[in-house]
Amino acid sequence: MNSYDDMNSMEQDVIREVGSIGTGNAASALSSLLGTQVRMGLPVVSVLDYNAAMSAIGNPEAIVAAVMVGMKGDVSGIMLFILHPDLINEIIGILLGRNFEDYSQLTEMDISAVNEVGNIMISSYVNALSGLAGVDISLSVPEIAINMLGGIMSVPMAEFGYQTDKLMMIRGKFIIRDVELNSDLLMLPDIDSLNYLMKKLVQSNE
Amino acid sequence: MKVARREGLLITYALGSCIGITLYDPAIKLGGLLHIMLPTADHTRVDNIYKFADSGIQEMLRKMQAFGGVKSRYICKIAGGAKMFEMQGNLGNIGQRNSESVQNVLRQEQIRIVRQDIGANYARTMSLDVETGVVKVRSFGRPEITL
Repeated sequence: MNSYDDMNSMEQDVIREVGSIGTGNAASALSSLLGTQVRMGLPVVSVLDYNAAMSAIGNPEAIVAAVMVGMKGDVSGIMLFILHPDLINEIIGILLGRNFEDYSQLTEMDISAVNEVGNIMISSYVNALSGLAGVDISLSVPEIAINMLGGIMSVPMAEFGYQTDKLMMIRGKFIIRDVELNSDLLMLPDIDSLNYLMKKLVQSNE
Repeated sequence: MKVARREGLLITYALGSCIGITLYDPAIKLGGLLHIMLPTADHTRVDNIYKFADSGIQEMLRKMQAFGGVKSRYICKIAGGAKMFEMQGNLGNIGQRNSESVQNVLRQEQIRIVRQDIGANYARTMSLDVETGVVKVRSFGRPEITL
């Protein structure tokens, strides 16, 4: 396999399974962090090229918060979790009792809370992945950026630009206090890791 | 890559680690805007030559020459090459390598970069007004600048 879109339907099913379990883990982690019920919708897993991924997530100049973590060990690559303002507001609203209308109002404390939530979400998905595939994945320290979506998306695109033009995306839907909130997770093992993962995942599925 | 003559606004949105390169020939009001993502096209199956600094700039020069552009008149400005995340090690630091590669290629082509706005940790939207040659850069949380 040379690219994410070379995955056959069985392999896509396996990734969807990772997405489901990961989103479930993420919802329960978020629920215990926020101390409120978090429900989840069925996550949608898709493999898209850069422009399609961009238009699925939003306007390139839209300001979002993104948490990035590097994966090492049996699998190397990047996980990038993108939070839109409504989800950020829900998080800092519950954790810190404040709201924001403009990103410039975010304090260091708010930003580190958002970073931590991103980190927890990413870890939930990585745990689902490593559990299902039976592989060891270690994660780097999470880093957060609050900036234009296009600039943030260019980071994984450039990182894998010599290998592929495609991104693998899991769109999760969380329902907190009856409000539906979308988040986007870009799960980007490098191509060697993707092949390795698929071998392990399909084996364990049989 | 976009080229326009006499009028029009060329624009590329939200450059992160990517670099936007504008070339403008004021004598004939010819403008070009290239958006590159990676430093060099070496050792790779090239599906899109504009993705790389070296092959992209060369193709841009060829296209603009076809439109009557003269290299010695070009006014060149660049923007982008940010490091969006403070990651440890090499991960996510392609912006700096992009900047170096763009500067090298332009030097080899004997094109001087008149103004640049590169590096730091924020994304930039870059535009070139082909009628006036004015290049603007806007970014999040900072006033728009004219390069």
